[in-house]
Amino acid sequence: MKLYYFSEMPHHEYPDAEGDKYPSLRLAFPNTFFSPEIARRNYQRYLDEYDAADQAGFDGLMINEHHSTPSCVNVSANMTAGILARTTRRAKLLILGNILPIQDNPVQMAEQIAMADLISGGRVLSGFVRGVGVESWWANSNPVHNRERFEECHDLILKCWTSPGPFRWEGRHYHFRHVNPWCLPLQKPHPPIWVPGTASPETAVWAGRMGYTYVPFLVSFEVARELFDFYRQGAAEAGRTVTPDKLGFLICAVTADTKARALEAGRHFVWRMGPTLRGPVEYFAPVGMRSRAASRFALRARSVSLSKMSYEELVESHYIVADTPDRVAERFVHVHRELGIGHLLLEAQESRMDHATTMRSIELMGKSVIPAMAGL
Amino acid sequence: MQTGALGERPDAAQHLVQLVALRAQAHEVGLELIDARHPVPEILHLVGDRQELPVQVVHVIILSVSWLPVGTVYGAHPLGADNVCYARPVTPREETIAVGPTRVQVLIGGQGDPLLVLHGAGGNRGWLRWMAKVAERHTVYAPTHPGFGRSDAADWMEGIDDLARFYLWFLDVMNLDRVHLLGHSIGGWTAAEMATMCPRAIDRLVLVAPTGLRPERGEILDIFFYPPDELFRHTVLDPATIPERETLFGRPPTPEEAEIALRNRETTARLTWKPYMFNPRLPHFLPRVTAPTLVVWGREDGIVPVECGEQYRRLLPHATLAVLERCGHLPLIERPDEFAALVTDFLGSPSA
Repeated sequence: MKLYYFSEMPHHEYPDAEGDKYPSLRLAFPNTFFSPEIARRNYQRYLDEYDAADQAGFDGLMINEHHSTPSCVNVSANMTAGILARTTRRAKLLILGNILPIQDNPVQMAEQIAMADLISGGRVLSGFVRGVGVESWWANSNPVHNRERFEECHDLILKCWTSPGPFRWEGRHYHFRHVNPWCLPLQKPHPPIWVPGTASPETAVWAGRMGYTYVPFLVSFEVARELFDFYRQGAAEAGRTVTPDKLGFLICAVTADTKARALEAGRHFVWRMGPTLRGPVEYFAPVGMRSRAASRFALRARSVSLSKMSYEELVESHYIVADTPDRVAERFVHVHRELGIGHLLLEAQESRMDHATTMRSIELMGKSVIPAMAGL
Repeated sequence: MQTGALGERPDAAQHLVQLVALRAQAHEVGLELIDARHPVPEILHLVGDRQELPVQVVHVIILSVSWLPVGTVYGAHPLGADNVCYARPVTPREETIAVGPTRVQVLIGGQGDPLLVLHGAGGNRGWLRWMAKVAERHTVYAPTHPGFGRSDAADWMEGIDDLARFYLWFLDVMNLDRVHLLGHSIGGWTAAEMATMCPRAIDRLVLVAPTGLRPERGEILDIFFYPPDELFRHTVLDPATIPERETLFGRPPTPEEAEIALRNRETTARLTWKPYMFNPRLPHFLPRVTAPTLVVWGREDGIVPVECGEQYRRLLPHATLAVLERCGHLPLIERPDEFAALVTDFLGSPSA
């Protein structure tokens, strides 16, 4: 089983009481609390940690993108991928992912991912996501069109990568008369495509049909299995066999020299389970964004909100793994056996987890945990 | 008066009478009676005292049938009995009208010059109190927009200008050469667009708190950004003053109604997302409108700033602006009687 290192690049250096005054940390919390001086240092630090994860032996470095939120100030997954393409040597660069529906220029997206793939020597894993509603607000992109735009943007990117230019594209949402990108990916026919899932059965079925690697984020094992079933249903429709390398899972994980230290560090993940997801449903799922099926599934999948769970419950339920390296390895083996996955994505830094703690966790993972995954 | 309808459907009329009486009883709603003005020589069953007596119906409007909200019943008894109500033939009928391949539900009721009524983002709320009053002098056509209620979807539509073209087509289908046109909120925006596209088709125009123009001051509230209860507080100044509040908001929605409400919001988003709730080209076309226009606004409108009313008045060649004090974004239901009187007077006044 392959392990991936992931940091959301948070900007949690403000008084929590200030954030609590607003309906949500996303969209509503004023950026007057953003500090360029702190962010300048943070970016260097977070990029150093990615470099360390590469050197420690992580199979991949996961990068994501959000907007208008202190929970994630990585505002350009492709820019970060471009940087890591130069500063790292071996790990895959898992962009998970580019938010397709809010893009107005899929051709440029295809070019940017190709450029990162070229600079990295063919290490890009290209994830495509629909984004949470916050991103639709950020881009002022009509949520009613979200799924249609996701699929059409995807189709155009794939065509850029696989069909010789110049060609014309006249779709429902995208219109280009002269498509001829002079930047194509190194990997052929194109970088592997990954798709995350939290609630939408349609996305799981679609990913299965397309043969993409599918990764549920922070759901229970039960819900993950259900989503994998949808995935298998789609794969079966297309006559595909599902192998473990097509299935992944994301959890939060940190390790330390002692269990007590690990548990202390793991508390930083609680921030991303509640406070950063707090807000009106309209922010996260604006009207039209979710299908009826997805809404029903979301209600079931999140019947117990993560924000309502105690730290101990989150640890107990494998949303957070925080322990000594040997125990962490055991937990990962357990997750692997429960879900039959080939990729485990670790959100490995959060909130105010400091640099030293993060670096020690990366180092210990490299020494003891990653080698223990080799046979899985 | 459409006296024929009762003659053709006596059972239905009787059913309505009983239904209303039972509901009035169940909801402890008093039956409000008004003066008779339009004798209708029909024999009906007397319901109030549960005797079957042949009487002459004078004038009753029922605002409630199975698919409409329970509402006030207006009626009068020739003998002055105050516990009697009657069905009358102007109870609106619902028709399904195909405009090209797209079928929409339309409420049709009343008599007189045709008046097309275009609802707002909240959807078609049925045969409302103000409509019943206006329908005494006009034949009201109140369609449910494509993608709203139980009308067909039209997912190909991109904006309110598409809806405007759709309703010009609708007029063709209905053989209505020239109509009075009344629209509320996004329905008002639609009406304004129609009047710029085909001025000849519009006799008189009533715009009620229409969106469509970018406010020179303030902003149109982002209705998609707020939870429903918060949005409602912005929409209505004081729910307690709404005569039909029990009917419209008195109980939680059924699953079907909740689904319709969601569908209404989705279609509104589809049509108005960007630029949000206005067409930057509309002000350049408004001078083309020839119809005498009444613009109605609630002074305390929390959705579309009342200043937009002044912008419409200025841009439209023959417009007057009526601002209702102590009223929010829904003058039609917040002040139904005053609103109906404004509309009736405006539509009935001699041509300028």
